[in-house]
Amino acid sequence: MAANSWPEQTKLINTRIPRLDGIAKASGKAKYPSDERPDGMLFGVVLYSLHPHARIKSLDTTVAEKMAGVKAIEVIAGPGKIVRYHGDDIAIVAAETEEQARDAVRAIKVEYEILPHAATELQAMAANAPEVVKGGNVRKGRAQITGKPDDAFAKADGMIEAAYSVPVVTHVCLETHGLTARWDDKNHITAWASTQAVTATANELAESNEIPVSNVTVLTEVMGGGFGSKFGADIWGTSAARLSKKVNGRPVKIFLDRIQEHLAGGNRPSASAKIKLAGTKDGKITAMVAQTHGTGGVARGAQFPLPYVYSIANFSREHSDVFVNGGNARAMRAPGHPEGCIIMESAIDDLAAKLGLDPVEIRKANLAPADFRTKIYLDEIAIGAELIGWKQNFKPRGTQKGIMRRGLGLALHQWGGGGANDKQVSCTISSDSTIELKSATQDIGTGIRTVLAIIAAEVFGLKPTDIKSNIGNSTFPPGQSSGGSTTTPSMSPPCYNACLEARDELFKKIAPSLPGSPSATDLSLADGQLLIKGQPAMSFKDACRKIGMNSISTLGKSSPGLASNGVGGVQFVDVTVDTETGVVKLNKIVAVQDSGLIIDKLTWESQVLGGVIGGLNYGMFEERIVDPTSGRMLNPDMELYQLAGASDIPEIIVHAYEPADQKKRGVIGIGEPPTIGTAAAIGNAVSNAIGVRVTHWPMTPMNVLNALAQEGKA
Amino acid sequence: MKAFEYVGAKSVDQAVKALTSGSAAMAGGTDLINRMKDYVTSPDRVVYLNDVKELAGISGDSGTGLTILSGTRLSDLLANDSIKKSYPALWQTASEVGTPQIRNMATIGGNLMQHPRCWYYRSGFGLIPKSSDGKHMLREGDNRYASIFMTDGDALYAHPSSLAIPLIALGAKATLIGPDGERTMDVAELYKVPTSNTESPFASRPGEILKSVSVPAAAGKNGSFEARHKQAHDWPLVMASASLTFSGDTVSDARVVVYGVAPLPWRSKAAEEAIKGKSVTLDSARAAGSAAAEGAKPLSMNGYKVAMLKTVITRTLCVTVGNRYWEV
Repeated sequence: MAANSWPEQTKLINTRIPRLDGIAKASGKAKYPSDERPDGMLFGVVLYSLHPHARIKSLDTTVAEKMAGVKAIEVIAGPGKIVRYHGDDIAIVAAETEEQARDAVRAIKVEYEILPHAATELQAMAANAPEVVKGGNVRKGRAQITGKPDDAFAKADGMIEAAYSVPVVTHVCLETHGLTARWDDKNHITAWASTQAVTATANELAESNEIPVSNVTVLTEVMGGGFGSKFGADIWGTSAARLSKKVNGRPVKIFLDRIQEHLAGGNRPSASAKIKLAGTKDGKITAMVAQTHGTGGVARGAQFPLPYVYSIANFSREHSDVFVNGGNARAMRAPGHPEGCIIMESAIDDLAAKLGLDPVEIRKANLAPADFRTKIYLDEIAIGAELIGWKQNFKPRGTQKGIMRRGLGLALHQWGGGGANDKQVSCTISSDSTIELKSATQDIGTGIRTVLAIIAAEVFGLKPTDIKSNIGNSTFPPGQSSGGSTTTPSMSPPCYNACLEARDELFKKIAPSLPGSPSATDLSLADGQLLIKGQPAMSFKDACRKIGMNSISTLGKSSPGLASNGVGGVQFVDVTVDTETGVVKLNKIVAVQDSGLIIDKLTWESQVLGGVIGGLNYGMFEERIVDPTSGRMLNPDMELYQLAGASDIPEIIVHAYEPADQKKRGVIGIGEPPTIGTAAAIGNAVSNAIGVRVTHWPMTPMNVLNALAQEGKA
Repeated sequence: MKAFEYVGAKSVDQAVKALTSGSAAMAGGTDLINRMKDYVTSPDRVVYLNDVKELAGISGDSGTGLTILSGTRLSDLLANDSIKKSYPALWQTASEVGTPQIRNMATIGGNLMQHPRCWYYRSGFGLIPKSSDGKHMLREGDNRYASIFMTDGDALYAHPSSLAIPLIALGAKATLIGPDGERTMDVAELYKVPTSNTESPFASRPGEILKSVSVPAAAGKNGSFEARHKQAHDWPLVMASASLTFSGDTVSDARVVVYGVAPLPWRSKAAEEAIKGKSVTLDSARAAGSAAAEGAKPLSMNGYKVAMLKTVITRTLCVTVGNRYWEV
């Protein structure tokens, strides 16, 4: 019988349990897809465009083909094709060594007809701009309007008019995009892929190579980050498979180099907003008018939610997607939300300053009364305020003098995070007491392998390390792609059901052969023991010996009541700003996060920490910088594309909000929510410290000093 | 990178002989290897200097002056008590270079002879990046990290060596060795400003390598201050070093050198003149900072460096006399 609730009393679920593969990952023993070196492997290197916009006039591979070690070349953009951004794919060389492939790539002769480009938003939005796509670079969305904003502005006690913007950032996956593909025979492909979707990757490889998906095995034992940008095989993966076929099945490895990873591996769109916000003396926001735009490169996708979190009766908004000659956006950890959060939370903070209100109080006054999150937010704000020391340390904006100024800021966020209900996990118990779980999901970092083992160990009265938790194989029972914070809520219910069913079958099978012929319902499992009517009778191992030749195998499906969706969350930030250098120092970040029942508190906390660190990079450091003249990205590296080092990361306090009614909601995903609010809260803390709004992210010395100079306070 | 011939030199003589046209000398490799990977520098031959024992080590002391051989690692420089005690300007600057891993590999010679970090240069557009229609890409483009002095010229990048700053402030000399023997010059004279992409930004002649730098006996007080974005692994945005001699409380002589504002280590004569004859107070230091900024001509995006320059000069002078006023 499928369960519809989690057990009230647990030994493992909701405790802190280390990742099963933690030591292997931390010690370097874990083999990532890009570490795989199947016998006979060739290295594939991509030739990509240095031009932001050009037509390929001719492409000559004859010299490259004859070079030492070169085995095959695949042309992606041949004569007549147009490349649309710095980093757009042209051809791939497979050779015996990476160096040989790189040399051969440089020997491919390409003649370009350079076309005019619009690589920055400024260029793309200018009159007579070169068209990135037919039909114009600026695509206006449908205007939204609710209530009567104009009337509301007229009656308001105060209003602000402001502009905020945040640049394009890239995913910077530590393991770049790619896979190694091998034709095992003329009908079968094996691929070691760095992906957050083994199933979708297998489908793509099957389709592009015209073989049944059952003949494709995609393996992702572990992987080095995706953040939303690795949902398929990509052109690099399908090319690796085609190249492998050309060389009689020798495996071909194509993983992007760091440069192309920045250029073509995906990015989070920019966001700019011109905004008017009005409110009453007591802090009720009455109206909002916003004009927003952003760019997802040559693709759309720059839309973001606004108003965000707060309930505003009268608002209007116009949004435009701007096309530029730049790599296309891909989903990035909570797509749209960090941008919407920055715009909304900046505006509400500025309005609070204008009206002389406490930033905490104005937020509390504008939560949606009908939203179930409102009570949660109120609790979380109280907890976070306490942890950051709001009462003792908060000083209203503009009241500080001195060179070093300390500021506090906060931001609220929300996310869905529910699961799919059509996923499965198999559970097999063998007579040697092996318990094996299988599912075609993969661990993008959430700890799902460990989470499944914890659930099984809970059911069987064992330790998580006793469970063989197998994921990352597309031939396993259908598992969830890791996106939208859906993995844990999708996979935990079928895992729990598979284990319960296997346990019950075990009881049924062995009960007759047990002393005293108890009924199956007299049996239970705890601490590695089989219990009969609550009394330890034999070890689990001995009990399993009675299974006999045929192991017990079940396929668990989802059932209602075990997972839910919809979370809030609040973050507080404490900064010190050096007003003479513009340098921002993060002192402390507090993240208060709800998410239903937490299976593993340790991997949960690690998810929240990772989210906060991603968010602080967005708030403090990251920016894709594009040269207008050449249309090229100037910082496709990890030096001038800045990211926090260890000493840039402050004390981070993670607080799990989980009163009893949260636990009753069941499992909810947590990958995305904790990365949403950090950058917004940092911006608010900086503005609180220095007394003026820094309107452009990230909080670099340049942007901070410019904001101070603008206000004549530098 | 382009395939190259490798010579593992065991002596200065071998190294100099091996450095024929088209060769590059490599010490720690923390700059050269990256340039080679990015095809910014593609030598036919790499001459490896790390095994040349006569190029590593520090001799002398603060009383007589120090000689630091060019192959000395930054980590060894930081372990030298005499430098820490008597040349805090140099020690502090070295301590802020890169990461511990980089400081374990990088040498003082490599730091002084590194190529600019300018992203146009590193993207393959040269030190004077111009488009086919003659537009100066750095002037027209993203120049947030570029110079604010000498911007009437075409070399707009910021000079990359932070160690050159305290060395010049301390009056250090550099000795080059090459096919024609040794020659010694002020550290500042190691550098020149190219007027085209075929010109070198260094005064060294083909085949010459940096052998050593000599720092004169310590006199007066010296110090450095760096403004940077990240606390971990980052380049200075603006930094400065000062070396001051006193008569009583009054500055009798001053050398003030700045990083991040010009295509050369920028000697701020204006700051020097402003602080001479005065005791170093917050007010006199601020006046020197303001004087230093006079004549700055920032580009479209780096006006913030003017404000930063004032602060960095002020703090450098204050730090030199032990006043960390901003920390209170």
